[in-house]
Amino acid sequence: MTETMTDCAAAVGAFFAGAFAELDGWRDDLAGGDPTVRPADLDARVEGLARPALTDSSPLFVGAGFIAAPGYVRGRDIHFAWWLGPQGGNPLLGSSSSATRLDLATRAYADYVRNFRTLEWDQVPQSTNQTHVTGPYVDHLCTCEYIFTLTMPVRIGEDAPMVGVVGADVAVKRLEQVLLPLLLAADGPMLLLNDVGRIVVSTDPTRPVGDMLAGPGHPLTGYNRAACPGVDLVIASPAHPSQT
Amino acid sequence: MEANNRPGARDAIFAQLVDAGRTEQVTARLTDAIILGVLAPDERLPSESDLARRFGVALVTVREGLAVLRDAGLVETRRGRGGGSFVMKADAPHSTLVQARLHGLAQVDLSDMAVYFATIVEGCAQRAAVRASPPDSDRLDRWLRDADFTTIAGARTSAGGFYLELAVLSQSARLVRELIRLQAEFGPLLLLGMTDARARLSLVESNRAIVGAVRANDAASARQLSTEQVRNLAEWLMNAKARIERGGAWDD
Repeated sequence: MTETMTDCAAAVGAFFAGAFAELDGWRDDLAGGDPTVRPADLDARVEGLARPALTDSSPLFVGAGFIAAPGYVRGRDIHFAWWLGPQGGNPLLGSSSSATRLDLATRAYADYVRNFRTLEWDQVPQSTNQTHVTGPYVDHLCTCEYIFTLTMPVRIGEDAPMVGVVGADVAVKRLEQVLLPLLLAADGPMLLLNDVGRIVVSTDPTRPVGDMLAGPGHPLTGYNRAACPGVDLVIASPAHPSQT
Repeated sequence: MEANNRPGARDAIFAQLVDAGRTEQVTARLTDAIILGVLAPDERLPSESDLARRFGVALVTVREGLAVLRDAGLVETRRGRGGGSFVMKADAPHSTLVQARLHGLAQVDLSDMAVYFATIVEGCAQRAAVRASPPDSDRLDRWLRDADFTTIAGARTSAGGFYLELAVLSQSARLVRELIRLQAEFGPLLLLGMTDARARLSLVESNRAIVGAVRANDAASARQLSTEQVRNLAEWLMNAKARIERGGAWDD
């Protein structure tokens, strides 16, 4: 493992740590909330947190908010308080110049909502009580972009059940802006991989973003690796560049 | 956010439009969705301003389009709280309207749409097979097991949803966007064959085989299977068109 690889891994860790630090503040705000919360009050509170983060000059998030677990909001199975950043020519939502609320009612999400409990971005924080990064994946429900979804469990009291997750969608290209210059500074090809071995950022033209470099069926051999701190991603570089 | 069960065909109805003849496009998009059963009777359409934003057209264009649909007896406007535009209940299926729509389209245009649709779906399936991780394959498998193909409406939604799943697994945002646009334009017509129980069964079998090919990372098979699937749907549509042109009914 080279020093460059460690630096790149640290930069990825810092990128996600920055995003989670923002969500930390939201979680603390909502965890201090009233358990008998009214939907309108909850929504206003979440909007107050999410909207500024979606509309600043160089937003880190393309979507963000809070998704309440079933029963937390009175009379609701689950409750989405989720806002989307400005959309340029989104094929599903049209264009918008400000943050808009994700409106489930107009988008035929009955099936989606029914399967809510099985979704990775909800299930993993629920079972591990840890933050989780889902993706990257093409999000066709909200942004039609290639994104990560970051989620963090919210509990009111330490041993209390999870009342929901605060979360944010981060575009892969936003991470690329930060990471690519660092990867390009290395001598050989460099890759960022997710937990299933999918390529997220690459300086090897023969290994494009979206491809699988390695998986359970074809393990990552012949590559040096550096784990990114605090997030299940890894910087990889061929141990002997000629073998790529 | 990611979902397990994505009713993509329905959302695609309201996807953005291209430039020319926008009122006609609003009318055609909603008419197809209603007469081909993607939008259900008594269902409320999004508000006029929401439709305008999502189609990417002026409010007046949406109003003109809705007026045409009202005149055709496809939607009614209810006033007051809980009001809006609602899909009219039809006593009979909109069979004569389907008939008129198929008659109005040239065979060569239908054929061409099928070629283009197949090209996109083949590309999605091929890439999905190359790029799917084992958990992706598990999710696709579970999605298909949970999807309903037993009813006409269920089969239409699920068939379109499956294409969208494949597009998502391709990891290409552009393919996802193009598939959504294409399903909005051509999906309801192409899936007309879902009225036929045998066609529904054959589609489910084909989808199962595609899941198998994706799991095996067998890109050539995934591509071949989707080519055949879209060809079967297109043949069904061409046969329906031929029946109409011979003076019969599309669903004879």
